[in-house]
Amino acid sequence: MTSPRVRVRVTVGVWAVLFGCPLVLGDWPITQLTQLVSYGIFAMSLAFIWGQAGLLCFGQAVFFGTGGYAMAAVTKGMIPALSSGTVTGLALAAALPAAIALVAGRLMFAGKGLSGAYFAIVTLAAAAIVERAASHWAFIGGFNGLLDVPPLTLRLGGRSIELVQPAPTCWVLLAAAAVIHGGLLWLERSPLGTVLRAIRDNERRTAYFGFGVAAYKTASFAIGAGVAGVAGGLFVTQFGFVSPALIGVALSTEVLIWTALGGREVLLAAFLGALLVRAVEGALSDVLGSYWLLGLGLLFVLTVIVFPRGLLGRLLALPLPARLTRLSTPPPSSPNARVTARA
Amino acid sequence: MAQILITGLDALNFMLALLLVTLGLIIIFGLMNVINMAHGELFLLGAYTVVLVTQAGGSFWIALVAAPLVLAGLGLVIEELVIRHVYHRFIDTILATWGLSLTIKQAIVIAFGPTAQQIDSPLPATVRFLGVGYPAYRLFIMAIAVAAAAATFALFHRTRLGLAARAVIANRYSASSLGINTRRMDRLTFAFGAALAGLAGAVMAPLMSVDPQMGVGFLIPAFLSILIGGAGSLFGAVLGTALIAGGSTIVASVWTQIAAQVVVFGLAIVVIRLFPHGLTGGRR
Repeated sequence: MTSPRVRVRVTVGVWAVLFGCPLVLGDWPITQLTQLVSYGIFAMSLAFIWGQAGLLCFGQAVFFGTGGYAMAAVTKGMIPALSSGTVTGLALAAALPAAIALVAGRLMFAGKGLSGAYFAIVTLAAAAIVERAASHWAFIGGFNGLLDVPPLTLRLGGRSIELVQPAPTCWVLLAAAAVIHGGLLWLERSPLGTVLRAIRDNERRTAYFGFGVAAYKTASFAIGAGVAGVAGGLFVTQFGFVSPALIGVALSTEVLIWTALGGREVLLAAFLGALLVRAVEGALSDVLGSYWLLGLGLLFVLTVIVFPRGLLGRLLALPLPARLTRLSTPPPSSPNARVTARA
Repeated sequence: MAQILITGLDALNFMLALLLVTLGLIIIFGLMNVINMAHGELFLLGAYTVVLVTQAGGSFWIALVAAPLVLAGLGLVIEELVIRHVYHRFIDTILATWGLSLTIKQAIVIAFGPTAQQIDSPLPATVRFLGVGYPAYRLFIMAIAVAAAAATFALFHRTRLGLAARAVIANRYSASSLGINTRRMDRLTFAFGAALAGLAGAVMAPLMSVDPQMGVGFLIPAFLSILIGGAGSLFGAVLGTALIAGGSTIVASVWTQIAAQVVVFGLAIVVIRLFPHGLTGGRR
């Protein structure tokens, strides 16, 4: 086991390497990396709700796709009430999926609620429904989707700059990913994160401690949905168009595989899982053809059986926050300290 | 009137085929507590067994007998290689079988190509009754499905092996301390469930275009049927499949296929939310 300090350095090092990439890579690899970064953010959103709160969602792409469609609709000026800017687009790309998740979460988790496998199956069915509906809704382009989504546009001191240069665009997306990573990490290490992990490990016991389990699950589901929406919004500005393929079962499955292979409990591991799987897929799919998916499926099964925490999870797991380690050796005066530390 | 009768028969047809898939799933879930996401692909393999046998010059009827046997064998292999290792990690069984489903699907794409295959109907005749004509083969499917479902019920409720299986479903640890070999039960269950899925795939093959995506089309309705009917009982499966298949066929006949899926899946989610233990209550 690597020491905690080394693992912090690895995390910092990974980001340093990522930010350095646009300096050394050519234009084409940089644009590829930029797309992968948005997939990575998407994987972090799933790692947050699955790895922390234990919500195994088979329909996470619904939020990614909704974000993508929202971004496309706003920046193409299809929604007259809203100004067609990048910022408005991203705000809606985050808010709309989060609102959907908030409502869906309230419906699903309140009362006896759905959990575990039921939640997985219901989200899978929901993804299938949404994909069908999206490919038959003419306003959002039906089966073809929306084409010609404008690139990201930054407003600096009254001037608006279209981000079309590969390297600066990549840095903007990397910065977004780093900020989201930091934000989710902060949530994860806050007392809220502790409650989420408690729910993941034993929902009933957490409820007995007096925590409103449904509210916590709904909140984390909505946060995950918002992040997935931003990822989708960023993705379509790079990819140029949005289609029902971004909203359905297939992509939901893919993100599950990236996250599981990387490590569901560690945000950065899920992020790198997405980057590495997609990068290897890009490099090898020409050579291996349809054998690539076969191999990926087998690797996935093997990882689930042998390394349930993912291939990168242990390497990148950060040490617990000091708040949670402080009490692990009980002071002699307090006989209940051990209990407090466990809780 | 004739249209209503045909719609009713179509609904019954779909329901009985779905019931075969669902019964296998529910037994595996009830007895082993494994959510088998690869069940749709077992159905798929049943259909492709028919493709393989008929391409090799064999008759459809040989294939129909071969498919459940092949799938039972494959079920044993899958249980040994994958399921056995994740028994006590409930969520991981979902992931492992999901990975398995992707792998099987891709293996089929590699072996047979991504395009659809056609199987000629082995009973092309039309039967006339009550003033309407109905394909004889569809009536044959219903007969097979009813027979297989009845045999499953008899096996579970009339034999000693079934009694042992129900004991394991009710309480795994008590059953094992009473001397029931639960390990052997698990193997048999998975093989049996796989064989039912294989049979379903084989009988449905002449009606559908056999392509690598056909498994998912049955997996989601089968799961929703279980959740609607209640995961603890075989009768729940009958109720659930009747509601899902009946609902889809009726909505599809007055509207479109797509609308049917959206409406029925959506309603199913609502029912599952209101009755988390299924409409039959269940024992879980």
